[in-house]
Amino acid sequence: MLNKIQNLNYLLIFLVILISFIGAAGLYSAAGGSYNPWASRHLIRLVLFIFLAIILALINIKFIYQYAYIFFILSLLLLLSVELIGVFGKGATRWINVFGFSIQPSELIKITIILALARFYHDLKFDEIKRIKNLFFPILILFLPFSLVVIQPDLGTALSIAMLGVLILFASGIRIWKFVLGFFVLILSIPLLLNYLQPYQKDRIFSFLNPEADALGRGYQLIQSKIALGSGGLTGKGFLEGSQSYLQYLPEKQTDFIFTLIGEEFGFIGTMFIILLFLLLISVCFYVSIKSNHIFGRILSIGVGSNLFIYVIMNISMVSGLMPVVGIPLPLVSYGGSAMLAIILSLGLVLNAELNGNLKKLYNA
Amino acid sequence: MFYSDDKKQYSVLNRRTFLLYLLKVSFFGIVGWRLYDIQIKDSQKYKTLSKNNQIDVEIIYPIRGKIYDTNNKVLASNIKVFDVYIIPENTKNINKSLKELNQIIKISFSDRRKILELSKKVKKFQKIKVLENINWSQLEKIESNKLNIEGIFISQDYMRTYKFDNTFSHLIGYTNKPNREEVELPFISNMPNLEIGKDGIEKSFNPKLIGKSGQREIEVNSYGRVIREISRQESQKGNDIHITIDLRIQQYALNLLKEHKAGSAVLMNIKNGNILCMASTPSYNPNKIIQKPNKEYWDSILENELSPLTYRCIQGLYAPGSTFKMVVAIAGIVHGIIDTNTKHFCSGKIGLGDRLYHCWKNNGHGSMNVSDAIKESCDVFFYEISKKIGIDKIARVAEDFGLGKIYDIPLSNQKKGIIPSRDWKKNKYDESWYPGETLISAIGQGFVLTNPLQLAVMTSIIASNGKNVKPNIIKQNIDIEFEKLEKYQTAIEIIKSSMFKVVNESKGTAYNSRSESAPFAGKTGTSQVRRITVAERESDDFRKKEVEWKKRDHALFVGYMPIEDPKYAVSVVIEHGGSGASTAAPIAKEIFQFTKNLEI
Repeated sequence: MLNKIQNLNYLLIFLVILISFIGAAGLYSAAGGSYNPWASRHLIRLVLFIFLAIILALINIKFIYQYAYIFFILSLLLLLSVELIGVFGKGATRWINVFGFSIQPSELIKITIILALARFYHDLKFDEIKRIKNLFFPILILFLPFSLVVIQPDLGTALSIAMLGVLILFASGIRIWKFVLGFFVLILSIPLLLNYLQPYQKDRIFSFLNPEADALGRGYQLIQSKIALGSGGLTGKGFLEGSQSYLQYLPEKQTDFIFTLIGEEFGFIGTMFIILLFLLLISVCFYVSIKSNHIFGRILSIGVGSNLFIYVIMNISMVSGLMPVVGIPLPLVSYGGSAMLAIILSLGLVLNAELNGNLKKLYNA
Repeated sequence: MFYSDDKKQYSVLNRRTFLLYLLKVSFFGIVGWRLYDIQIKDSQKYKTLSKNNQIDVEIIYPIRGKIYDTNNKVLASNIKVFDVYIIPENTKNINKSLKELNQIIKISFSDRRKILELSKKVKKFQKIKVLENINWSQLEKIESNKLNIEGIFISQDYMRTYKFDNTFSHLIGYTNKPNREEVELPFISNMPNLEIGKDGIEKSFNPKLIGKSGQREIEVNSYGRVIREISRQESQKGNDIHITIDLRIQQYALNLLKEHKAGSAVLMNIKNGNILCMASTPSYNPNKIIQKPNKEYWDSILENELSPLTYRCIQGLYAPGSTFKMVVAIAGIVHGIIDTNTKHFCSGKIGLGDRLYHCWKNNGHGSMNVSDAIKESCDVFFYEISKKIGIDKIARVAEDFGLGKIYDIPLSNQKKGIIPSRDWKKNKYDESWYPGETLISAIGQGFVLTNPLQLAVMTSIIASNGKNVKPNIIKQNIDIEFEKLEKYQTAIEIIKSSMFKVVNESKGTAYNSRSESAPFAGKTGTSQVRRITVAERESDDFRKKEVEWKKRDHALFVGYMPIEDPKYAVSVVIEHGGSGASTAAPIAKEIFQFTKNLEI
């Protein structure tokens, strides 16, 4: 036990804490130079979730492996109950109360998807991967939560689930032509998908295509966020000096747009620093994956790294105008408990995978 | 088998992991490049946009300069007025506040409804104007109740005010919001809500009176709420204007004119050309135009057929009648056609071609020299001499005496009038001049048209022995010396003695208006507004009959005072006043006496 604590990947823990501290500084600034209401809670969550993550890292990986599907099913049920509350209750929602905590199951499900897929490919013999019938189960694992999230409707999360699935399937050795085929199927289904979009989602896509056309309406967020980033320049306006955020031109500056606040106050140097920290964190996940002797650990680590990657790339692309605003937070930096819990716990799984990387097969060992 | 499979699987996995890692690094590269674009390459553009986001410039309007009379009496100034606003976020119940306010100052139900509706649309901290331009006493009532009425905000403003209402309407004018074209004027620059002068001195001196705007830079947030003031540059008050008019004389003259429907009186200082009085009636009250709503008042002005907007002193054109005879006589003397001994016999009419030209005195004046002809205003004498002088020579002299000209004074829309000549008629009608027209012109009828200011200037030139007097309305600190027209010396002396006789000798047309206290000289004029028919002329008493006001003759008088070394020149025109002797001359006398008593 003590041995395990000694062997924890402290670089990973350090990176998590550093990024979260930058997030807390941004939230402190977003509140006009105050710990309340966001920064203090962000830091409390950080401490609590790191503690949970270390506990998760120390429990037996066989236990996690064994219950991977159960976890998935439980979180799927949680997601489903959100839907049902939405249908029978107070109207559309993404939140559910668990033991007094307000949780967003769509964030947790991404982690259990990773777990379920990791177990599936761990159990599958390499020869069997190429069989078409063995695609059925992974696609089901992805499709069920995907469709539930689409119904919510939460386009950003749905998209990130789809991308996560593609990246994990690619990592686990599925033949390339199957991806090409899937890609074409996707292209052909785009008109159908557009038809299914909510009006506000269509607005977001159109405003992305031409933000200046409606500067005070739909394109407002994007223009203001670009102004914040751009006016930061190389070195930024200085901590607590971000006029865009201070004068409330920045929308949702404490959640999805926190990156622009940091860009305004710390400039290009600040944004590059954050990006490099994330790249480093993802690299650690990949390093753990390569080092791992069992498929479960490999897929798990790659999955967690990819999940992190999807969050970061989608969020930054969104606020810098590379893709439509779809509502994805910046992990560890944006205010919000569910995403932070999911990210830190998933990194706890990576810590666990590293500690147990020397095991070969989990089911008969 | 198991292991080789395993090995194969791991090499595939390693390869895939490596590819995936490459993919991610390249995505990070794309995002980094994008941020470089925004934060480094286009940074300047976004910095500007960010600044525009936050900084709003608010214009501070300057206070308009005042207008004073020659004795530093304030004629136009600005009074503090107050606007009452309501701020939705400061009151729990706007309707309640409005009702409470309504008990102090009436706010119509529809206005209250409009404010309520507006309050739902605007931002909670935005002021909504409830009352405009309320005065001190109303403000006091609100102030004493302010603690009870929630959400009230009072701001101070300035409103132009004219202390003497109708006294200077045309001369000073009034201010108002600029119209669409005026907004483009350079002195308005960044102040679209600035009240600018629309008439008279107010209009001519806009650039001077307005002053300079100030500005304050304020930081606003995305809702438009002012966060703080960044810089402040105060506005500069406009310059004051001092005019030459004497308030007392102006008021006095207007009071005399009040007896008549329409008319004007101009009094000038001959020595320096300063206009002391330029009264015109009917007029309008500029304060009533400024105070909104003014539609009713505007309509009443526009519907008035006497056109109160016309400044008769410079815009009213009248046939000068007999007041023109001095010019004709001077032309005759200067060109050697008559001297003091030249006599013509007036039988009441003369014939020219197949037409008869009548004297106002049906029975005729008998034998007349130039002095008598002016004193008794004999028409036939002037018919006779004009035939010899010719219209062109008369016209040139008339122009030398200031007629048919627009003066260099800061009042727009001066009417030039007409001094006819052969060339003028050729240009205007493409017709040649008829000899009969010279006769009619010689008694100031026919084509001849002058405005009252021109007549006062003409009289000033005569009274000053031919100095080229130029009228002036803005007070100047320099001494003015007018150039003398030497060639008219002798002629003017003869004419002046004749003008003395007009007022001060029996049989003079204005003898009834002679003044003991302020002796003056002058000339009456009665100008026809319609042709008199033969039948009317033959009925002996056509002049005594009561005729409809509109058809009555205009009454004119021009004069100067004192007799020796004259200082003041006057011109009085009463529209449809009957005769110059009976209506205009008495007014001139009163003005002279009043002016003399002031001992300026």
